[in-house]
Amino acid sequence: MKQNEIKIKIQNLNFFYGEKQALFDISMDIFKNQVTALIGPSGCGKSTFLRCLNRMNDLIPNSKVEGAVYFDGKNIYDPQVDVVSLRRKVGMVFQKPNPFPKSIFENVAYGLKVQGIKDKYLIEQKVEESLKMAALWDDVKDRLGESAMGLSGGQQQRLCIARAIAVEPEVLLMDEPASALDPIATKKIEELIFELKKNFTIVIVTHNMQQAARISDYTGFFFMGKLIEVDTTETIFTKPGKKETEDYITGRFG
Amino acid sequence: MYRHLHEELEKLKTTSLKMASEVKDSLKNCIVAFQKMDTDLAQEVIDRDNLINSLEVEIDKICLRLLALEGPVASDLRFILGCMRASIDLERIGDEAANIAEATIVLSLKPALPFYIELGRMGEKALEMLEYALDSFFKPDPEIAIDVCKMDSKVDLLNDKIIKEIIAYMIKETPAIERSVYCINIARRFERIGDLATNIAESSVFIAKGINIKHYCQFDNR
Repeated sequence: MKQNEIKIKIQNLNFFYGEKQALFDISMDIFKNQVTALIGPSGCGKSTFLRCLNRMNDLIPNSKVEGAVYFDGKNIYDPQVDVVSLRRKVGMVFQKPNPFPKSIFENVAYGLKVQGIKDKYLIEQKVEESLKMAALWDDVKDRLGESAMGLSGGQQQRLCIARAIAVEPEVLLMDEPASALDPIATKKIEELIFELKKNFTIVIVTHNMQQAARISDYTGFFFMGKLIEVDTTETIFTKPGKKETEDYITGRFG
Repeated sequence: MYRHLHEELEKLKTTSLKMASEVKDSLKNCIVAFQKMDTDLAQEVIDRDNLINSLEVEIDKICLRLLALEGPVASDLRFILGCMRASIDLERIGDEAANIAEATIVLSLKPALPFYIELGRMGEKALEMLEYALDSFFKPDPEIAIDVCKMDSKVDLLNDKIIKEIIAYMIKETPAIERSVYCINIARRFERIGDLATNIAESSVFIAKGINIKHYCQFDNR
């Protein structure tokens, strides 16, 4: 496996929903400025794993985490860690576009204002930059004051990406960001991911294996809460090391 | 989606097996035709080359469809690429067999030369290589493939030896020059068939292990 700088190091991670263990002893590295795709059948734990990376699972009652997730060398599960600041550094984009029922401008500016930024000029500048980076600027520059709810699904999802990157996170977690979109909007999101990795480290959960093959540098295969195999995407899709991976990606499962 | 992929892969395997079996028969028959100077059998080999060519085209179509529509990965993808390569090699072996059969028809009109027996044996060696290569391809068993690579150097040596003998004979027996040249061609073609069988064996290693041993014949990860 080619070696890049490690951004997140996951060590012996276990996760429980009450009594039920959802993740078993996961250890893997997420490399800086690379796209890591997580694949596996429904219920295999890949989304749970993704949410462990910015402690989104903290919000689930009776959940329990064991093991460590080192973000730039610091364990995010240390009691001293400020979760709000962690989630600013590790942003998230969800499956269904979820813009706020506000204007396009306000959606992107929201995170900046929550952070306490009051300089109007700076906010305008950041909103423009983020919309440009999310490849949405040309579509919306003349109607920034209009409601975000009037945008198409693909545009809404790019708006959510712009909103996520406006606060300048270091890592972007994406949970099936293109699964609710048509092929053209999907292509735009995929191209965007390719561009975004220059500035961000991206971890993406996807059910679409060809999408994982197209956009990611590394791929991890999850099954029944275990990380079966993680390697370069090229290796996973040409000669995977484990039979379970081979069976899943070639459709000979179970 | 996957059911269709698997059905198409099954079709690819069946068509490849059919092509392999046709080519093997063609090679076997062209050797027997040469050994017995059986012109009817030689003509049969020539006539059957069309069938082999059409099977190659059919395999191309199936592979193109699979690649364009099914998004194959891992062992499926390797199998498809392996079949594409092997079908090209098999088609060429079919051509070589037909060419040997044509030469046989010409040679059958004149008395035999002393090295026909050895040439026939060389053909049998090439056939044995093809049988091993196909065995390794369809099992797939990369260990057998390595045996094929080893056999190839023996066929190469045999080729050098026979050609030297033919040249020495030509110097002494000038009336036999035309037949001798045909025999040199036949020896070259058997040698080439050995090379093509080696290619098929190498493809079998690619299918089984995902590594490329072309021009190399070893299993270390390249």
